[in-house]
Amino acid sequence: MPDLDKLHQAVIEGDWKAAAAATQAAIAAGVAPLTIVTGCLVPAMDEVGRLFECEEYFVPEMLLSARAMKASMAIVRPLLAAAGTEPVGRVVIGTVKGDLHDIGKNLVASMLEGGGFEVIDLGADVAPERFIEAATTRNANLVALSALLTVTMPSMKTTVDAFQSAGLREKVKIMVGGAPVTQQYADAIGADGYSESAGGAVALARRLAVV
Amino acid sequence: MKLELHPHARQTLADGLFAAGVEFPCGGESACGGCKVRVLDGEVPVTLAMRDALSEEEIRDGWRLACCALAEGRVVVEVEQWSLRVLTDEARVPIEPRAGRGAVIDLGTTTLVVQVVDLTNGEVLRVETALNPQARYGADVMSRLQYDLRQPGELGRVIRQALGRMLGSESLREVLVVGNTAMHHLFGGLNVEPLTHAPFVSPTLGGFRFAEEELAWPGPAEFLPCLGGFVGSDLLSGIVATRLDQQTRPHALFDIGTNGEVVVGSGQGIVCASTAAGPAFEGGRIGAGMRAGTGAIDNVHVRDGGLDCHVIGGGAARGVCGSGLVDAAACGIDLGLIRANGRLTNADKRLPLADGVALAQSDIRELQLAKGAMAAGLRMLTGEGVEKLYLAGAFGNYIRQASARAIGLLPEDLAVEPVGNSALRGARMLLLTPSTRKARLRKIVALSRHVELAADPDFQYLYAEMMALSRYRLSG
Ligand code: B12
Ligand code: FES
Repeated sequence: MPDLDKLHQAVIEGDWKAAAAATQAAIAAGVAPLTIVTGCLVPAMDEVGRLFECEEYFVPEMLLSARAMKASMAIVRPLLAAAGTEPVGRVVIGTVKGDLHDIGKNLVASMLEGGGFEVIDLGADVAPERFIEAATTRNANLVALSALLTVTMPSMKTTVDAFQSAGLREKVKIMVGGAPVTQQYADAIGADGYSESAGGAVALARRLAVV
Repeated sequence: MKLELHPHARQTLADGLFAAGVEFPCGGESACGGCKVRVLDGEVPVTLAMRDALSEEEIRDGWRLACCALAEGRVVVEVEQWSLRVLTDEARVPIEPRAGRGAVIDLGTTTLVVQVVDLTNGEVLRVETALNPQARYGADVMSRLQYDLRQPGELGRVIRQALGRMLGSESLREVLVVGNTAMHHLFGGLNVEPLTHAPFVSPTLGGFRFAEEELAWPGPAEFLPCLGGFVGSDLLSGIVATRLDQQTRPHALFDIGTNGEVVVGSGQGIVCASTAAGPAFEGGRIGAGMRAGTGAIDNVHVRDGGLDCHVIGGGAARGVCGSGLVDAAACGIDLGLIRANGRLTNADKRLPLADGVALAQSDIRELQLAKGAMAAGLRMLTGEGVEKLYLAGAFGNYIRQASARAIGLLPEDLAVEPVGNSALRGARMLLLTPSTRKARLRKIVALSRHVELAADPDFQYLYAEMMALSRYRLSG
């Protein structure tokens, strides 16, 4: 399928126009929407994550790849929805209350989306109640919290505790990340997982979504 | 940085200092002067070797070479290689003569500078510099604010006492203090809680006064007002020093550092923003990073197709400081060892600078994050074009402009003028012109608008673009 090779290439190279064109071409050629996602976008974004992990790629390349992936997704998503295809999992993601740093969170959201998850991005400065509300109404099985300030890290604990008090702690897995966050901190506040990078976040989400 | 030692009879100071981490660049041969210490208390006789290595004046001021210093009993010394390059400022400024003495204070997150000034002629009589003693409770402003939430008022007492000691006992007519918003709040014992979360808007940004009895200082103090967010009176007085508020065409004031700031404006209006670059320019979060002290590579040139490094103190390189990092990256680009996207081209992804000192890929990434934030902030605020860029602060004073341009930290198409410690100079200008001070401050505060860069959804893409290690222009 030459068109999917082109799409794969366009995502890796971060060319959103080429990605959109290749997606249209693939659909016109009769490729199933789900095949475009699982057979091309997911492996392409995995490759982007790997390139980031081994320090080949950095934030700019990753943002461009994410943009290309999204251009393709924008075409494929309505078709998937029409066919009633279920995503790998549903993730509610946001930067915690008090914090406006959202670049890392955006990268994680894109990688998760590229990994086949349905992503509900609540943006930045998100209060615990909003995480709870979105997780309930959208029936999410994963919640991802990001914080970049040492002073807003406690908001992560407040959010985890809020899920506990709302009686939802068993229904969702909570993962945390952001530059000052560590595995120890994640353990201490009772989160289910931590990853130091956006690529790692996808592997983590896949692991958490299974159990 | 002070150190108390109790050497045994006729023992050199070297042992005790070595144990405390002081280094002896020439191995204690009394040849390099890198182990210089200043004796603050106790007796340390001058030797012949010291007379060779030190100037007459240095010896008079108490400087000795630690490697050959013999002492007995209690000795308190200040260690030269741990001291920071602190910028003071002696530029001549306009004055309305009046009787007595006054003082200005630049209350920085890392360093403190006090200048005692003769109000009759504007002359700087005495300069005192020190590290901010609050650093013990956290290196960056956020951790200090956090500490203050747990132990309200303690950091305020610590800093007011330290500054009081630096001012001395001679009566002062008034003392003007400038500093960033966090320093302002801590000094004044104000509620810091609003500064610890978005939208980072504090209701208490105004200036405030303390009577001398309240502080037990030799004179009454006035802390100048903040401009908004984390942009404090250090930038306000920088505006005074560069006369941004009196320019007819927009000029920019750029403070490169952990808590970087950008101010752009003229008499028609001023916008300011904080661009938190992170500690890379101070050598933080860089594997081989260190402050600009003895053993730091502070200067790198290309010579014969290789890198030629200058080391502070002349001995072996121990690490690289901010100016060295910027230079090294610029040279790396020049030699094709670093690509514009930041990638190191050689197989082991390292850029060796000197024996045992190399930059890793992750170090280049930290530099990209830091310089990208500063450059994006500058581009964001300089929409309509600017005439000139004033570089404030220590880092701006020490980096090589050509290197900063080559890595895309400073723009290609703008005249750049380092203005040294503009915060201190602006404060002194205000101290010496009491009749117009109030009106000028009021005007600047009214002219200024603080913008939150994080609130702009486009910041992310501009930031990513500005992470490129390549030249950029502000216009076109
Ligand atoms: C860019 C930046 C900004 C931008 C933010 C723009 C935006 N829309 O996000 C601007 C300039 C606006 C800004 C402002 C401020 N900033 Co700022 N900022 C930075 C900077 C330079 C880079 C952060 C960044 O984007 N990194 C790149 C991303 C991709 O990395 P990341 O977020 O860590 O994400 C990765 C991983 O952590 C992980 N990850 C992230 N989230 C998650 C979530 C999950 C679930 C998982 C699994 C993984 C994961 O995946 C990502 C990709 O691998 C850092 C300093 C630095 N050099 O790091 C300071 C820094 C974070 N800022 C700091 C501060 C203090 C501020 C301010 C509060 C004050 C100030 N001095 O300006 C303001 C206020 C911001 C606000 N209102 O909240 C401090 C924090 C210090 C501390 N002790 O907390 C820092 C460290 C700088 C410093 N002074 O040392 N900042
Ligand atoms: S070690 Fe003392 S002068 Fe070099």
